[in-house]
Amino acid sequence: MNLIEKYAVEVGKYLPSRNRADIEAEIRSTLEDMLEERAQAPNADREALTLQLLKEYGAPRKVAESYGAVQYLIGPRLYPIFEMVLKIVAAVLLGVGLLGFGVNAVRMDMAGPALVHALGKLFVDSFGGVMMAFGNIVLVFAILERVLPLSDQKDLTDEWEPTDLAKEQDPDRTKISDLIAEIVFTIIFLALFNLYPQYVGIVIFNDNQWTFIPVLTESFFRYMPWINLLWALQVGLDVWLLRKGMWDVATRLINLAFKLGSIGLAYAMLIGPAIIKVNTESLAGTSLAEVARELSPLSQFILIPFLIAMIIVPVVEIVQTVVYLVRRRPPAPFPVK
Amino acid sequence: MENDELIQNMVFELRRGIISIAVLSLLGKEEYGYSLLKALSDQGLEVDQSTLYPLLRRLESQGLLQSDWRIVDEARPRRYYVISPQGREVLEQLKKEWAAMTESMQKLLS
Repeated sequence: MNLIEKYAVEVGKYLPSRNRADIEAEIRSTLEDMLEERAQAPNADREALTLQLLKEYGAPRKVAESYGAVQYLIGPRLYPIFEMVLKIVAAVLLGVGLLGFGVNAVRMDMAGPALVHALGKLFVDSFGGVMMAFGNIVLVFAILERVLPLSDQKDLTDEWEPTDLAKEQDPDRTKISDLIAEIVFTIIFLALFNLYPQYVGIVIFNDNQWTFIPVLTESFFRYMPWINLLWALQVGLDVWLLRKGMWDVATRLINLAFKLGSIGLAYAMLIGPAIIKVNTESLAGTSLAEVARELSPLSQFILIPFLIAMIIVPVVEIVQTVVYLVRRRPPAPFPVK
Repeated sequence: MENDELIQNMVFELRRGIISIAVLSLLGKEEYGYSLLKALSDQGLEVDQSTLYPLLRRLESQGLLQSDWRIVDEARPRRYYVISPQGREVLEQLKKEWAAMTESMQKLLS
């Protein structure tokens, strides 16, 4: 490979793949034309001329940038939503961590250096998990950055009108931030339940160390195929809505069907065998057995209101959607001013 | 020295504004990238290749130019550009704008 060829390939490294081959070919062709002209002089040293020419043409990265080839992992259109999701996840992790720490500090009657020591150990032990959670969020947004259509950038362009601020939000227009947040959180929970179910549990400080006890039971995993199906379909619908930008009767009815599905699932979990349980059997004979026995009824006490909320909230949303669909007027057959 | 740099920057901005019209007017006949650079230079408009090539791509994506890769006279493959019918319409309009602008500027500067 000669120097011009290497140079073109080097520029191509910084270019988006869809234009890469074309721009590389054009740079190669131009450089060869320029070299051909310069090398016509008698006793011309082609190698020295090539080096001089490439130096003049500029650093490969700078040349690529002139084609508008700056690439983002997470671009300006998604960054505000990314920041919002990151703050929510950070707040939830911090809240859960501090709550668990508080409960344990009271239970163990910790004070002074023991309290600082336990807090330090909690920070060190949970660091890997927190980094993994943030890494997954970055990954989901990086994928969305590449699959979402460019039309979502409309509000970043000159088409934006200040008068839009005064207009009432069209109820059929999808809210991009809501959909993206729903996609990201659904994917995070799908990853958590499918890949890291051992991280769903409680932490207990005992014998000078933090012990994590998973709480999901066998019964919970029997529901996983239905949870996966329902959530994957929901993500699919959200991506479709992001592309279309508008709700219509069909998408609203599909969404209603998903809500009915999640109500059915929550009801089955409510009346069926316990889906979370502090496993006292596996801790038998250890110093945590007694603690686990105390926490077991408490876990059900937290779960039942959560499942009831999982039924009530979608019921309210279904009623709101049905009322909206019944009351909405059909679109006018002519433009309305 | 300070003024030289200021003037250089202003001239660069001026040139950047008119380069699209110059390119559209030169592409009434087919040119490849390097021949276009030389043609602009011959007319006294020195344009950097890192300005010209992205501009050609932008004008093409706007539908004002057409291009295709060709091998002419057994030379290496070259991408030939030519103005499109839409580009001609836009150029006619730009010429009128340019005439009005230069007239105004001449009045202003005289």
